[in-house]
Amino acid sequence: MNLVRFYLDNTREVVGLVGQHLLLVLVSTAIAVAIGVPVGILLTRRPAWRGPVLGLANVFQTIPSLAMFGFLIPLPFLGGIGARTAIVALVVYALLPIVRNTYVGISGIDPAVREAARGMGMTDGELLRIVELPLSAGVILAGIRVATVVGVGTATIAAAIGAGGLGVYIFRGVAVVDNTLILAGAVPAALLALGADGLLGMLERRFVWR
Amino acid sequence: MAIGLGLGSSCPWAEAPARLARAPLRALRVRRAGPSGHGKRRIGLALIGVILASSCSHPNRIVVGAKNFTESDLLAEIAAQQIERRTGLTVERKLHLGGTFVCHSAITAGQIDLYVEYTGTAYTAVLKHGAGPAADSVRQAVAREYRQRWNLIWLEPFGFNNTFAIAVRQADAERLGLHTIGDLARVAPRWHAGFGYEFLNRADGFPGLAAAYGLHFASPPTAMDLGLTYRALADGKIDVIAGNSTDGQLAALHLVALVDDRHYFPPYEAAPVVRHAVLEQHPEVGRALLELRGKIDDDEMRRLNAMADIEHKDLHAIAHEWLARAVP
Amino acid sequence: MTPPVVELRGVSCQLGTRPPRPIVRDVSFTVAPGETLVLLGRSGSGKTTTLKLINRLIEPSAGDVIIAGRSTGAVPPFRLRRGIGYVIQEVGLLPHLTVADNVGLVPRLEGWEAQRIDARVTELLTLVGLAPQQFAARRPHELSGGQRQRVGVARALAVDPSLLLLDEPFGALDPITRTELQREFKGLIARLGKAMVFVTHDVREGLLLGTRIGLMQDGRLVFLGTPDEFRRSAEPEVRAFLEAAA
Repeated sequence: MNLVRFYLDNTREVVGLVGQHLLLVLVSTAIAVAIGVPVGILLTRRPAWRGPVLGLANVFQTIPSLAMFGFLIPLPFLGGIGARTAIVALVVYALLPIVRNTYVGISGIDPAVREAARGMGMTDGELLRIVELPLSAGVILAGIRVATVVGVGTATIAAAIGAGGLGVYIFRGVAVVDNTLILAGAVPAALLALGADGLLGMLERRFVWR
Repeated sequence: MAIGLGLGSSCPWAEAPARLARAPLRALRVRRAGPSGHGKRRIGLALIGVILASSCSHPNRIVVGAKNFTESDLLAEIAAQQIERRTGLTVERKLHLGGTFVCHSAITAGQIDLYVEYTGTAYTAVLKHGAGPAADSVRQAVAREYRQRWNLIWLEPFGFNNTFAIAVRQADAERLGLHTIGDLARVAPRWHAGFGYEFLNRADGFPGLAAAYGLHFASPPTAMDLGLTYRALADGKIDVIAGNSTDGQLAALHLVALVDDRHYFPPYEAAPVVRHAVLEQHPEVGRALLELRGKIDDDEMRRLNAMADIEHKDLHAIAHEWLARAVP
Repeated sequence: MTPPVVELRGVSCQLGTRPPRPIVRDVSFTVAPGETLVLLGRSGSGKTTTLKLINRLIEPSAGDVIIAGRSTGAVPPFRLRRGIGYVIQEVGLLPHLTVADNVGLVPRLEGWEAQRIDARVTELLTLVGLAPQQFAARRPHELSGGQRQRVGVARALAVDPSLLLLDEPFGALDPITRTELQREFKGLIARLGKAMVFVTHDVREGLLLGTRIGLMQDGRLVFLGTPDEFRRSAEPEVRAFLEAAA
């Protein structure tokens, strides 16, 4: 089959692009978790901020990815062409599911458990560490899963701003009207998304507490 | 039921989807207030027919396509309005379709009737000949082969040459004494290039250019959306791009095009390419477009491009004003 | 005379609505060591709020709560609560931890060594009638309601606090289990000799378990006395409760 032949002939390039793609997604998701989970926790402590913060993350979500990349390019520190800008955009897109799920996961904890924990003399830190985070881990992971799967898809657009990844094949294929090239990029991207969904889903299920 | 289904040889594929579309409708047995089952089927099929018809070449409709950059859109709009004002035909625009190959596929498949192509592009990228010959022979070869292979007719060119502008920042050009593309080879090992996807993958694009001038960049050029390359160059994120010589952004962003002293690039004369069937059916279209011959030189094209890209004027308005003045 | 374990002086609490709605009005009482004070009252009478004012889960708007001679406001809340056992109706066991981990939570927070915690957990589970070998490794969802509340009591006793606060601990259980646990609990109280404040709306439970009964109505303490005094009281609300229980 054409596609298999293509992969065999271009193994190094394919591996390189898959690696670039993975890097984009992994780095951006990691940063989004590092920012998003604390923000989500903060929102449970300051309910008044929930509206504005979630609202803002929501607005970011609605910006079409190509437009987002375009906005970021001229910015002095975050911008430019290439992987850095792409990662910034991907972080922005990953924030909403992670922040929202962290907030929902923690607020959704059984109030009786929370009351018992406070009543027995847990400090805020202990409450977070021993009760809130473990009990909301499943929901937070679900948010991370969504963010990762979306990230794999959005990262294909990053090729438009020179960030590399599997989108390179797709854009190339579209420019020269070559379906094999388009598939060469699209199929592994889809597989990556499915794989991430499956792996994180398995992890998520281990954190369901009855 | 004949509305919109199976409209002659220009739409051989209209039948199959329509037949497919009928099947699920036939399977529907939902009883609801409103049109009866039969009536609903008719409406459904008519809808599908309308959709199909609008995407097929209609006997009295001309579909004008364009490539995915401003100049192509502008010329398509000019051609479209010229046809409208000289003949009574309806013109449908499909601007910013895609790159060269997308438009070529579209016109050979009959999905568009006309678009503006460049002789050099057709010669090297579509027909895949090596670069070299003079303008006349390129134009003749292209006209001959397009007619033979695809029944596509090349009309007279607009009068300008939009070649690739290998562009650098003006400050860099002055500082490093860059005048020709040959000079670029000197600084290339320290520099980073960025090109659109088409230029990177065309025979007359980067691969051939690098070979002809011995260009070795620090790292492989970054591939990105063509439109973004200008800004990336101006902002200092990359050092050299392949833009268009008639682009308005070159002057506005203080960019300089390097001279092609080894004449690597063939001439790129812009001219309308039309399907033979359309010209036969409507010779007035050919006559109308002939009036545009030689009416736009390099500077004029730059001016029009600048109006669109820099001053952000509406394409329709630019075309309208220009036609009123230049082709009264 | 030994000082009381808990003393409430003119404690009031109100909801922050506009206008503010008083929930607890000027309540005062003491609880001596070994004494079980039952706070009885209808729904909305303020008894649960009063209980939560003691371990500062709710802040009083007026008055003072003194535990072991110190005002509760002078100590950080978590420090205060570590020394008070707290048992609630829904139990609130941490679902992701085993029974043993749940019972040993406060000792762990207090930094006890593992061996000491294990020994204490075994001791407590036996005390509340749950065989350690059988129950220590189980998770809360594998237990019945009655078993869960036994674990809740064991947890509350873990660091041997001198004061226990219980908010309708047996309210969610079926009548048979409830009676069983009440009886066992009564025996436990006698053995442990701890001061307790026990909130309930069940008169019979109150009369069974309390050394003194405080009846609350509309946020006020309308009766405070022994069960015998309760039965003989002419206070209308007392009579209403006794009639309902008959």
